[in-house]
Amino acid sequence: MKNPTKFDLPQGTLDLLILRVVALRPIHGYAIAQRIQQMSQEALQVQQGSLYPALHRLEYKKFLAADWRPSETGREAKFYRLTHKGKLQLESETASWARLTEVVGLILQGPQGESV
Amino acid sequence: MNWWQRLFKGKRMERDLDSELRFHLEQQVADKIRAGMTEDEASRATRLEFGGLAQIKEDCRESRGTLWVASVFQDLRFALRQLRNSPGFAITSILTLSLGIGASAAIFNVIDAVLLRPLPYADQERLVYPVMIARTGDTLPSSYLSYLDERAQQRTFDALAGYSMFGRVNLEGSSGPAALSAVKSTDNFFDVFGVKPLLGRTYLPGEDQPGRDNVTVLSYEVWQNNFAGRTDVVGKDVQLDGSPYSVIGVMPAGFRYPLEARDAVYTPLHMNPSWAKSRGMHWMRTVGRLKQGVTKEQARTDLNRVMTDLARAYPEHESGHTVASLLSLDVASNSLDRFGKRTLAGPLGTLAMAVLALLAIACVNVAGLLMARGIKREREMALRSAVGASRARLMRQLVNESLVLCFAGLLGGVLVGWAVLKAMKVFLVQAMSRGADIHLNLSVVAVAAALSLLASLLASLSPAIRLSGTDPNRALRAGSAGAGTGRSQHRLRSTFVITQVALSLVLLVVSGLLLKNLQGLLHTNLGIDPGRILTTRIELSKGHYAGRDPITAFYNPLLARIAQLPGVQGVGVIDVLPVQGWGDGYAIHITGQPPYPPNLDMSAETRFVSEGYFSAMGLQLTRGRLLSPSLDKAENSAGTMVVNQAFQHKFFPTGADPVGAHIDDAPKPELTSRIVGVAINIRQALREPQMAEMDWLMDEIDPKDRLQNLNSMALIVRSNGDLSALVPALRNAVHEIDPTVPFKTPETMNDVVSDSLMLDRLEGWLFGTFAAVALLLAVIGIFGLVNYEVELRTREIGIRMALGSTRVQVTRLLLGKVALLMLSGLAIGWMLTLALRKVLSTVVEMHAGKDFLLLTSMTVGLALVGILASLIPAHRAASVEPVQALRTE
Repeated sequence: MKNPTKFDLPQGTLDLLILRVVALRPIHGYAIAQRIQQMSQEALQVQQGSLYPALHRLEYKKFLAADWRPSETGREAKFYRLTHKGKLQLESETASWARLTEVVGLILQGPQGESV
Repeated sequence: MNWWQRLFKGKRMERDLDSELRFHLEQQVADKIRAGMTEDEASRATRLEFGGLAQIKEDCRESRGTLWVASVFQDLRFALRQLRNSPGFAITSILTLSLGIGASAAIFNVIDAVLLRPLPYADQERLVYPVMIARTGDTLPSSYLSYLDERAQQRTFDALAGYSMFGRVNLEGSSGPAALSAVKSTDNFFDVFGVKPLLGRTYLPGEDQPGRDNVTVLSYEVWQNNFAGRTDVVGKDVQLDGSPYSVIGVMPAGFRYPLEARDAVYTPLHMNPSWAKSRGMHWMRTVGRLKQGVTKEQARTDLNRVMTDLARAYPEHESGHTVASLLSLDVASNSLDRFGKRTLAGPLGTLAMAVLALLAIACVNVAGLLMARGIKREREMALRSAVGASRARLMRQLVNESLVLCFAGLLGGVLVGWAVLKAMKVFLVQAMSRGADIHLNLSVVAVAAALSLLASLLASLSPAIRLSGTDPNRALRAGSAGAGTGRSQHRLRSTFVITQVALSLVLLVVSGLLLKNLQGLLHTNLGIDPGRILTTRIELSKGHYAGRDPITAFYNPLLARIAQLPGVQGVGVIDVLPVQGWGDGYAIHITGQPPYPPNLDMSAETRFVSEGYFSAMGLQLTRGRLLSPSLDKAENSAGTMVVNQAFQHKFFPTGADPVGAHIDDAPKPELTSRIVGVAINIRQALREPQMAEMDWLMDEIDPKDRLQNLNSMALIVRSNGDLSALVPALRNAVHEIDPTVPFKTPETMNDVVSDSLMLDRLEGWLFGTFAAVALLLAVIGIFGLVNYEVELRTREIGIRMALGSTRVQVTRLLLGKVALLMLSGLAIGWMLTLALRKVLSTVVEMHAGKDFLLLTSMTVGLALVGILASLIPAHRAASVEPVQALRTE
């Protein structure tokens, strides 16, 4: 059933992506999944089985707060927004992600600029 | 939201989680429809993409990190609901555990209080009780004079005190007279125990001498009960037996010596002046504190050196008088005989084993029940695991369920233990010197609880491991427990049943023998009709009778008055009540007979009685005449006595007539006492063989010695009417003549017999109860096993019957299995009983020949009960309809 274009997200990455998406505006779970898919140009498909536990984990860690409000269809939905603590977490995680990719990129390119 | 919010707002959380996920689903379906799918296709595709909803929910809950507490509560709620759904299983398990835990908690409490808890003295290991014996091997205490020599000449004791506990003493308080234990001792008594008084002081050196000795130290209980714990009691004067004593001190709570002396007052010796001068009067018990570093053997050698010297100096009184052993006080206080050879440790240890066996049976039973229940729940577990419950989660739920059982069992157990102790209270206080100290002790309950927790966890673990590992695919497809699932488990359950049967048999055998012995003792032929005789002890306050004759002033008017009461057929008094104890063997020689060999015990018990005693007790005369105040007067130079048939047998084995014979109790022949009659026997002590006895009329005692000998007498009243209705009249009669005499509610002689068999009854009662419970549990176990077997093999039975098996054959198949189990259980039980015979003999001796019928019938009975228990399920198996059985699959 695996989508060939789908990536397995490295551990912890999903949390970062969620924080990033929620940082834009308060948003409900379904829209978060849609948004990640869309922003990754369909390369990433977030499974509900990991999305909701992650949301609840982030909420429990107080990086996210949630409240119920009407969605675009008029139905009540649980909207998540970033807390101050979450904002700090997003910043530091983004910085360390950038640093990590840079370092990993450096190694993969190698000193002679050969690519594998 | 933190964990407690989660717990208490759990319902809302669940609702929110549910609507959140449902919202997602709906959105996804809507999107798919928009993309051109039909509604059916869309929802189907969404459900496939979404995966297990329950699993996602569980992960969400888990990611909150608080799941543990929440799920424990959830499991508990669930477990309770599950148990409510199968009340039979729940009640059986909880009751089983309660009985097992309760019984063991009660017995371990007794053991803790009686054997384990230290005695209330300092340096307990240095305190010893010398057991002194005569040449005949019987115990013989010290005389006062020989005690003084021992005390002066010993070199191994820091303190060696003498004491006696003769009867009771009357304390005259504001609320009437109270009869208390009196412990009369030498001045160094308290030095032995190293316990400081709570108030005031203890005796000064020399305070046991006449003139200085009207002082008393109160025990804590007496201080609390009779003096309301007033601190100004020290220095006050109190009336003991009508004489003024000055209170000099109060001992702290818990201090007691001897341990059976509850509600005691301690006074100096106050001995009969003649006893102080006599070496022949052996009455004083001793207790000592060894010097630091001295062993018991060294001390015994030291004391025997003194005794040897004394024997040389006073051969007629002291030769052959030695110290047989020095007993530690804990041994002495729990001793069941006079030598410390049998102590309570034996029977209590056996009881502990019995109660552990019972606990084991209970645990095995619960494990068996859990296992049988597990079979029925295989599908449920498979379903749970299919919808996403992890194995650990299932285990936890199963263990939680048994925890609920165990906890309920523990609560029930505490209740049962409390009730058992309460029911045993009277027995315990009377049968054991520390029996009054036994209370439900929380630390002991905690140990029993830990034990049972462990046991029930183990019991639940094996089914839990197996069940949680159920392969959902197979279990769901097979639709029921397949024939192969239960093999190893079945073997385990069979082992359970065999264990139960074996342990039950041991308990049954022991309790059966105990109850048989007890019945024998209870119905010992006393030679009288004990149900028609009331008895109570009369204690005169000596101070009130100073210079008065207790016979003319008290006993004669009392006996006359009681004889007039309606229904009374006879009334009398005796100094030592039969059945209750032995007195003081008095070595005698019949005038004219050749000298007796020195090692032969030629002694007889002596008793003082009133004229009416024989007819009140119902002792018929077989020869000669009865004692009579008109003939047997104090002024007569020679005494007269009536002896019993055992006396006649012992001293006149050749058939010579005892009537008219004399005993050599005086140097001049005209002063020796004469036998005037022979009466039938009555047992002096229930456990001892019949002893020879000589009864003297109390009127023959010299008036000035009467108070000393007659201040404590047992009143005997025979009536043909309602005995309990007689009690108030007796109380009035006593109090009209002397209001200072404490009136103790009379007992029938039957009660006296029962009282003296307290420990036997306690043992019989406990073992009987244990055996009954064990039997019940074994029946439940067997029933459960066969029932489960039938359930498991319904299909097989169906096939057998479809292929032509008859109902009889099916029944025989099942009963054959049960019979095999029973036989193995009984065989192992018998091996166990025989292997444990030595241990069990502390409680009961087994005589294969004499008890053959009893033992056989118990074994067969147990086997029959086992077969009976399996009849119902076997019948069910036989009525399986083959078509039905095959279709249910």
